[in-house]
Amino acid sequence: MKQFPPSTEVDYIVIGSGAAGGILAKQLSVAGFSVVVLEQGGWGKYGREHEYNKDEWLNRNLSDEDRLMSDPAQQRNTFRPNDKTKAVPGTHSYGCVVGGGTVTYGGSSWRHLPYEFNEASHDPTIPSGTGIADWPITYEELEPYYTQAEWEMGISGLRVNSPFIAPMSKDYPVPPVPLKSSGALFHTAAAKLGLTVVPGPLAIVTQPYMGRAACINCGICSGYGCQVRARSSSAVTVLPIAEKTGRCEIRARSYVREISVDNGGRVTGVIYFDAQKREVRQRAKAVILSANGSESARLLLLSKSARFPDGLANSSGLVGKYAMFGNVVNASALFEHPLNEYKGVISGAGIVDYVPSDPQRGFYGGGRLTARGYLTPLELGLEGLSPDAPHWGAGYKKALREEANHRMTITSFVTQLPLETNRVDLDPDVKDSWGLPAMRITSTAHPDDKKNMEFFRQKSIEILEAAGAKKVWAPPVNEAHGGAHNRGTCRMGNDPKTSVVDKYHRAHDVPNLFIVDGSNLVTGGRNHPTLTIQALAFRASEYIVRAAKEGMRQTKA
Amino acid sequence: MSTIEKSRRSFVLASLTGLNAAWVAANYPGILAAQEHVSAAVRAGQPPQLSFFTEAQAAEIDAMAAQIVPTDESPGAREAHCLYFIDRALSTFAKASQPLYHQGLQDLQAKTQQLYPDAAKFSALTSEQQIKVLTAIEKTPFFRTIRTHTVIGFFSRPVHGGNYDKIGWKLIGYDDSLNHKPPFGYYDAQA
Repeated sequence: MKQFPPSTEVDYIVIGSGAAGGILAKQLSVAGFSVVVLEQGGWGKYGREHEYNKDEWLNRNLSDEDRLMSDPAQQRNTFRPNDKTKAVPGTHSYGCVVGGGTVTYGGSSWRHLPYEFNEASHDPTIPSGTGIADWPITYEELEPYYTQAEWEMGISGLRVNSPFIAPMSKDYPVPPVPLKSSGALFHTAAAKLGLTVVPGPLAIVTQPYMGRAACINCGICSGYGCQVRARSSSAVTVLPIAEKTGRCEIRARSYVREISVDNGGRVTGVIYFDAQKREVRQRAKAVILSANGSESARLLLLSKSARFPDGLANSSGLVGKYAMFGNVVNASALFEHPLNEYKGVISGAGIVDYVPSDPQRGFYGGGRLTARGYLTPLELGLEGLSPDAPHWGAGYKKALREEANHRMTITSFVTQLPLETNRVDLDPDVKDSWGLPAMRITSTAHPDDKKNMEFFRQKSIEILEAAGAKKVWAPPVNEAHGGAHNRGTCRMGNDPKTSVVDKYHRAHDVPNLFIVDGSNLVTGGRNHPTLTIQALAFRASEYIVRAAKEGMRQTKA
Repeated sequence: MSTIEKSRRSFVLASLTGLNAAWVAANYPGILAAQEHVSAAVRAGQPPQLSFFTEAQAAEIDAMAAQIVPTDESPGAREAHCLYFIDRALSTFAKASQPLYHQGLQDLQAKTQQLYPDAAKFSALTSEQQIKVLTAIEKTPFFRTIRTHTVIGFFSRPVHGGNYDKIGWKLIGYDDSLNHKPPFGYYDAQA
């Protein structure tokens, strides 16, 4: 791999190597620019993916070197529901390895629907007093980049014409994953209830694609690295291409603590801690911040200077605000015959009829029900039995025998209203393992979000019963306190007073700083954010390349 | 905080609350050492040696594990060598739980004698009596920890010392080939 001495001024530093950062690294290096990617996580099994473990016990006990997710004991964070409450240690965690969350995610790759870009001005169900706003771009503007993301990353799925599915200009590059028993039961219920079932679009290739093998349905999927490289993570798609240009250096275990600026207010580079926690300064002509929907905001708030006393790119005061972490609702059921849900991908079929918000429900909200939730042996044994099953003894063993492979779960991914009070900032007391102020999360879901979650809980029960379940249970709804679907904390917009970046991801306040990741999402969609982040990253790359080349022409002229 | 202190803290925390995704315990060399030890013993065709428990303690732990996943018409935790999984765990990456087990075994003895004054030890009780004792302590951190460890031993990959002969996986019909072709289950086969 190309190596740049930190004293060299490279064209771009990309902070983060996940869904967005990987794409930026590839697009910029292929376009001829020098790029240093700084990833706080380790290498994982980058380039030797067959070494990923499928060992449940081992995977729960990974060393720092092999860790795939952030560790709340190191990337320490705190949580409080509101400003009046003292924050307590939090559990927020996200993908943290070269390739970011795409290395371990379930792979759901739903597009936002056209109306999700201007709900604020068009959806009559939206309550007053929220921070919901229209995006500065339309679905039509983003559509070509959704297609580009689907084809460059490798997304499997079925193009369906439905008012509940975003229209596509091109088919998926590979067919959908095979129907699982949970999906077949979705069809049984849908036939009775008049609902629409579609295969989940997934970043998992079902045929050999761009030099990668097809999924073998191993069943040890989300949370684990993919041994056959069927999961279309940044680590097996865009990053190797970036590396091969000879213009991109990826530095793992590089934890950025500051984006530095000069007196003129331009970014000059970053300061980061290497694996030994030694400080390194890397200079660059411009910085792309793709650290994720919570860490990007935190890094801006950490990057205080005389010129930017409230944090970098924060003249609006909105950095960190409108945080959305992604609410889900679960319901499970037992069926007479074996489903063997442990085989195959985690997220199979979806029911999409409740994606739009409906005035008749009396609240704002929508979402998708996904047939999901295989139980691996440890998950089943430790906490996977139905609620009244005994925890030990003859009754426990009987329940293990009877319930194993007979269960399915519906996980609904639902809307979340952006609220200014829900935010990421710096904890005044707690420090992370690098001695930096820990992330503090303040979040309480809007009452409509809670009503919506209860709606999906009830719908899930109805669907499971219609599918012929012997026994159904659904825990009380519970809102997220963190998690990998973090979004919204550096929203994009045309007005510098009400947004952090412009429609091309350039920070309103800093001409050579771009923020490209889930933090830019103005609305959260129906939770699944990754494909939209990837589409935005392809679109942003095109603009950044064009702007840089125009700038160079002007300089020469 | 050092890595070991952190591991200990999170392990104890996890032990008390039951295992979940945030159980970020442990030190990797310890796990590898445990794997290595057990694998060598399995290769040699011999039962692994105890490295933490005395023989007397081992009998008590084995009896507890055998009540958590009993042997009926199919093998249980005893046949799956959960004892050896726990023993290795306590002498490697779960060292922090040693005091909990030491104290727990004493409390088990006390509870046994309280309920059955004539009994010498828990493992000497009848199965019905053992269930009564365990029911009396089932809410304690010790019992919850040994329950968690037994289940992990029963269902983890055999290389970790438990799940001998894939006994745990056979009970739940888990095919560990990690390579499956549809149809996966009854309902998709019918569709």
